[in-house]
Amino acid sequence: MAEVSLEERMPVREAPPDTRGPSSPVSATALWLGIAAIVAVLGGLVLVQANYALSDRVVTRACVDLGLRRDLTGSLGVCNIVEALRSSQMTVLLYAAIALGAAAMALGWGTYKRMDTRRRREQTVTGAILGLQAVILALVLLIFRDGRPDLFAKHFLNFEVLGPYFPGTFLDAVKNTMILAFVGELGGIVIGLVLAILVISQRRAARAPARAYINFFRGTPLIWQLATIYFLLLFGFEIKLAAFTVAMIVFALNTGAYAAEVFRAGIQSIERGQLEAARSLGMSWFQAMRYAIVPQAVRRVIPPLMNEFVILIKDTALVIVLGLVASEYELFTWARQGVSDTFNATFFTAAALGYLAVTLPLIRLVNAVEKRLRSGLVSIAGAAA
Amino acid sequence: MTATPRAAMPPPEKEPLIRMEGIHKWFGDNHVLRGIDLALEPGEVQVIIGPSGGGKSTLLRCTNLLERPTLGSVWFEGQDITDIRTDLNDVRTRMGMVFQQFNLFPHMTALRNITIALEKVLKLDRKEADERAMEQLRHVGLEQKADAYPGQLSGGQQQRVAIARALAMQPRLMLFDEVTSALDPELVGEVLAVMRQLAEEGMTMMVVTHEMGFAREVGTWMVFVDGGVIAERGRPREMFANPETERLRQFFSKVL
Repeated sequence: MAEVSLEERMPVREAPPDTRGPSSPVSATALWLGIAAIVAVLGGLVLVQANYALSDRVVTRACVDLGLRRDLTGSLGVCNIVEALRSSQMTVLLYAAIALGAAAMALGWGTYKRMDTRRRREQTVTGAILGLQAVILALVLLIFRDGRPDLFAKHFLNFEVLGPYFPGTFLDAVKNTMILAFVGELGGIVIGLVLAILVISQRRAARAPARAYINFFRGTPLIWQLATIYFLLLFGFEIKLAAFTVAMIVFALNTGAYAAEVFRAGIQSIERGQLEAARSLGMSWFQAMRYAIVPQAVRRVIPPLMNEFVILIKDTALVIVLGLVASEYELFTWARQGVSDTFNATFFTAAALGYLAVTLPLIRLVNAVEKRLRSGLVSIAGAAA
Repeated sequence: MTATPRAAMPPPEKEPLIRMEGIHKWFGDNHVLRGIDLALEPGEVQVIIGPSGGGKSTLLRCTNLLERPTLGSVWFEGQDITDIRTDLNDVRTRMGMVFQQFNLFPHMTALRNITIALEKVLKLDRKEADERAMEQLRHVGLEQKADAYPGQLSGGQQQRVAIARALAMQPRLMLFDEVTSALDPELVGEVLAVMRQLAEEGMTMMVVTHEMGFAREVGTWMVFVDGGVIAERGRPREMFANPETERLRQFFSKVL
């Protein structure tokens, strides 16, 4: 057998061509352009508005021509908003933002493939995205201020009309909103757990009424349930309850239907072996549920239940169809009362801010809990699987 | 029955601890068990081997009625437990079961996994339950892991806790359903050692397993389940040395 030389077995080939394009010389310039554009439009808006609001000014001639009479409550504030929006500084900033944003987009999307590190590429793309956002925002503001921003500001951003209602009755309204949502959610959890246990039953007779209840409350509008159940109790059963109490009951009944589905999914997500292990130790079905299944399911359904709670907080606004007395006003009823007293819709803006003040921290909390539960459960249940 | 008993069934005048007669099980149209007879005296170890899908696990699960046989009866301690009036929760306290996937309760410590049934089913007080659980954890060599959660234990340790959990009920019969199949190879030994010790202490056991060495050395009796029937039965050593049916010969050639 002849010796085979290395060259014969591995013929020397030409090196493959370098397919990498040239590196871009501009590196992360697009990122700075994008940041500059977004700062110009957002920072500019805030600064110019603050400057007009805080400096010593009077209602201008132009504002009076627009119908903002000097004796009107809050006309100076509204005038300042409009004047700031239409000021030459704002014009310069908006057009600057559009120019900078367009430059960021062109540069970013034109050069990101030629960046020599992943980090630079991410920065460049981010710059282009920020530029796009700045351009859109600036265009929207340009269109808005060429419309009738004075009318909008007069009716929705005239915070001076809140004067006598803020913070006193506003805070009561926030409190009542939270009471409605909290009692509704707690009652709903109890109802939902019972319904969930019934709905996973093997027996049709136990399952059917629970399923009918859930479908009914999920299938009809909450606003209809509020009105109808109020009068059902009042006329049908001759039970005279405060509208606020009826609202809490209806929210609990309604949330119960949704919570039941959440619990059912949670219980069914527990591995079948858990039930079998509990039963093989002599536990009854109910004992197995109580000690082995439900405690695990409850942990898994905390995030979706908290989401239901956030939804319920907003849905409390629907009690507007019931006749609440002034001390029971929740945020939306409070706002409607304010609007009909003053003919100014800024109360709705204030209500929206009130809802956000409650829901934003809750949404953050849900996300944090979800993250923690996911990692926590993986370390506990994951190794058992 | 298709199988010819080589070693005779236990003598009929003495009531065995467990006796299964004419067990059939359908899952829908799927006829999984097609007439199984099995009996076990106290202190004996019944090993069940066979190809996957042959009905081994279903047979075991029909023993404590996690699956109810479609046809046939199971007699345990002289009582027909397939009778609808039987209190199965009571029967199951005397019949421990260990699963392939351990099935420990992940939200409880090892100790609590054991004491929960002692307290809620056997109605022992907390102190008594703790003592009995610690004794069983010592038995499987895990007393120092009493406060660990299942997620903090290795697969082998989890399975030993699961065995301790079943043993703490002081059962008359233990059922093992492929308890080493989900374990990493290096963890199989510690679990088999516990089971071997248990057999030596005289526990009556039914063991579905793929561990042929264990089957041969620990088994009192062995059945080869294939196609829903007991295709061959006898003493493990004789069956390994001299399989009578072609099917068993083929099975051995694949697994040995």
